[in-house]
Amino acid sequence: MRALCSALLGLITVAVTGCSHDQDLLHKSQLLAMGTLVDISIWTNNDGLAQRAISAVTQQLDDATHRWHAWRPSTVTELNSKIAAGQPDSVDALTLDLIEKSQRLSIASGSLFNPTIGKLIEVWGFHTDDRPDIPPPTQEQIDTLLSYAPTMADLHFDGNHVTSTNRHVQLDFGGVAKGYAVDLAVDRIRKLGVQNAIVDAGGDLRAIGSHGDRPWRIGIRNPRGPGVIASLEARGDESIFTSGDYERYFMYKGKRYHHIIDPRTGYPSTGASSATVIHTDAATADAAATALIVAGPQKWRAVARSMGLQYVMLVDSKGTVYMTPAMAKRIKFQIDPPPKVIVAQP
Amino acid sequence: MMTRADMVAVALAVAALPFLYHAYWGSNTQGDAVRIFMPGQPPALVSLDRDREVTVKGPLGPSILQIKDGKVRFVSSPCRNKLCIHSGWLSRGGEFAACLPNRISIVVLAQEQRYDAINF
Repeated sequence: MRALCSALLGLITVAVTGCSHDQDLLHKSQLLAMGTLVDISIWTNNDGLAQRAISAVTQQLDDATHRWHAWRPSTVTELNSKIAAGQPDSVDALTLDLIEKSQRLSIASGSLFNPTIGKLIEVWGFHTDDRPDIPPPTQEQIDTLLSYAPTMADLHFDGNHVTSTNRHVQLDFGGVAKGYAVDLAVDRIRKLGVQNAIVDAGGDLRAIGSHGDRPWRIGIRNPRGPGVIASLEARGDESIFTSGDYERYFMYKGKRYHHIIDPRTGYPSTGASSATVIHTDAATADAAATALIVAGPQKWRAVARSMGLQYVMLVDSKGTVYMTPAMAKRIKFQIDPPPKVIVAQP
Repeated sequence: MMTRADMVAVALAVAALPFLYHAYWGSNTQGDAVRIFMPGQPPALVSLDRDREVTVKGPLGPSILQIKDGKVRFVSSPCRNKLCIHSGWLSRGGEFAACLPNRISIVVLAQEQRYDAINF
């Protein structure tokens, strides 16, 4: 009887999700990976291909979760232990590539994207899935960690061996690993033959191809209200990443503390509520969005310039929107009245 | 042999088909239904046209969703930081909220989804 009910439920699911012709071509799946919900959308008339692609993405993101987790046992936590002990560590080729790429991105961002500040992120309590109700760190704790001044330039490579000249480097790839893993997942499904898809890892995504005869339509969440602030259409192959101060945070004595830590101050970044980047490469978009929200309204242009970004949108804490001219041509605001907008060259 | 409960379940499921069809493929971008993802069970589809509270069990305990005036929100969840509750009301196709610690997420559905993905 249970089997009959399951079959019936399956029938209902098929009836509900697969009745229109268009929707027959859209295959959607959702999974939990990299500490977030991942939505996979594949547009194809080949059901078998869609299922293989969904499995491939799932496998790729699961692998990334286990390989690069910042606080559960992983290649990264093992490397961090070796760095703390002043020893070299050998890592796999993929992890080495992630580290080297992160180093390039970090240096280009002027270290505003800095994956070596794991100790700071940990002391703020963000190295848990569900942050315990503890106070923010003391100024003394923060000052001590800042005095260690870890940067990606502290890391050196010899073949697949990684060493650090600073034992206080604690790698946390939370600002780039998601993008890097999305790039790997998209490469895999492309090799399988998928031409039209979105891999959306907790609101940060790479879109390839189109939704049939129209482009993929992307909404960008309003950082200071319900719903969507703006929309855009993805073209061909683009990664669209947003860093926002609303994603993870905690309240303590009536004050809000979010999870994006400014490596210069040791405190949650201030000035910007969200930063959105479009780039062909998801890892670059991911790291750049983190660097830009830290940079804030005063310095975003310099970061956009040094990281070679064409499409940037920043929303400050008062709701004013800053955009590059290229981004301004693609953004359609969805709030009424539209926000105050400042368009400026990087 | 079908029990009375089985028959009721089957009858309800069959009766729900046209309703669910309409709920999912309604003709505007205002959401008509909410799809609820929960661990260990297939997603559930609940219409937004009737005010009610829905209790969903997760590994940490029950999360409660409120549906009112065509909108849905988390009103209670056993997670510490209550980010799901702070997400507030959702009403348009594609909008979603999640309680990751309790592994429950919701997405509002409409026929012509305004967006294929929401960037945040």
